[in-house]
Amino acid sequence: MLLSFALRIQATDFFTYLRGSGYVYPAILSLHMVAIAFFGGMILMTDMRLLGLAFTRRPVADLMDQLRVPKRYGFLLAATCGLLMLGCKAEEYYYNAFFRAKVALLILVVVHALAFRGSVYNRAAEFDRDGVPGRAKLAAALSLLLWIGIACMGRGIGYIEPPFGIHAQLFGFLHL
Amino acid sequence: MIEFNARAMLLIENPLNASPLSFPILECFHIVGFAFSVGTIALVDFRLLGWGMRRETPSQIAKDTFFWTLGGLILMVLSGLMLFSSDPDMYYLNYAFDLKMVFLVLAIVFNYTIHRKTAMSDAPTSGKLVACVSLGLWMCVIFGGIFIGFLNPTLDIHQI
Repeated sequence: MLLSFALRIQATDFFTYLRGSGYVYPAILSLHMVAIAFFGGMILMTDMRLLGLAFTRRPVADLMDQLRVPKRYGFLLAATCGLLMLGCKAEEYYYNAFFRAKVALLILVVVHALAFRGSVYNRAAEFDRDGVPGRAKLAAALSLLLWIGIACMGRGIGYIEPPFGIHAQLFGFLHL
Repeated sequence: MIEFNARAMLLIENPLNASPLSFPILECFHIVGFAFSVGTIALVDFRLLGWGMRRETPSQIAKDTFFWTLGGLILMVLSGLMLFSSDPDMYYLNYAFDLKMVFLVLAIVFNYTIHRKTAMSDAPTSGKLVACVSLGLWMCVIFGGIFIGFLNPTLDIHQI
């Protein structure tokens, strides 16, 4: 079902144009990387602050509160470019093990956010008063691993070429 | 044919080309490197534009990110040099790579001169202009880097 959806998406006029457009596709990929470069540092610095490795003279709340919204804009830019690239080669991505791993990690990012929202991400003021607890450092370390993992999986996507179907055989048990 | 074999042997001599995994792994280090370096520089730029960490002054952000910026730059440049070493002929003849190097040098020099001075002054007169130039230069570096792979992908020194 997902596969037929992928085939329908990439066969639309828009994505057919994009796929054969020469320099529009690399421009979208470049913007995807610009989003990582301009906004990835916000995630990294927030995590490093929680770990006590950056901005140690500034309150935790300053980073968490002020970067929350900009980080969302950055994610929006990266995700928009990412979805455009996905649409171009939806069938290929469907079979791509790295793409599947990237999606799995993105789902884990949502789980991470939900799991630590109450105990870490809404308690910056408390951390500035009483110190950063272990669970906040754990959340920061996991966030670093997840996001760096997502970047690396993203890079891996470009290295798997068809033959189509081979990854379906390898990862068929996932029944995607 | 002999020339082709000589070139192939030359490439194999670089231990990085012994495994097809080394290039993508180095690229991951390259990405993490620029996320740290350009990401921390962008924090200062966004502040100069009046966006982002407004409770801090530009100089506080620049000072607190100094070592992360430098560390990211070192990681980015070292991994970049290793990526370059995998096929120097191709990069040397690639216009996107040439442009990227020009913008990279400009961006790094700009960062440690005008950009740094502006951020440290805290009441910059041309803060927004400096921030735009900085972000623009880094954007050109990134576009240049991506377009390397899309410009003449089969370019070979023996065709010239």
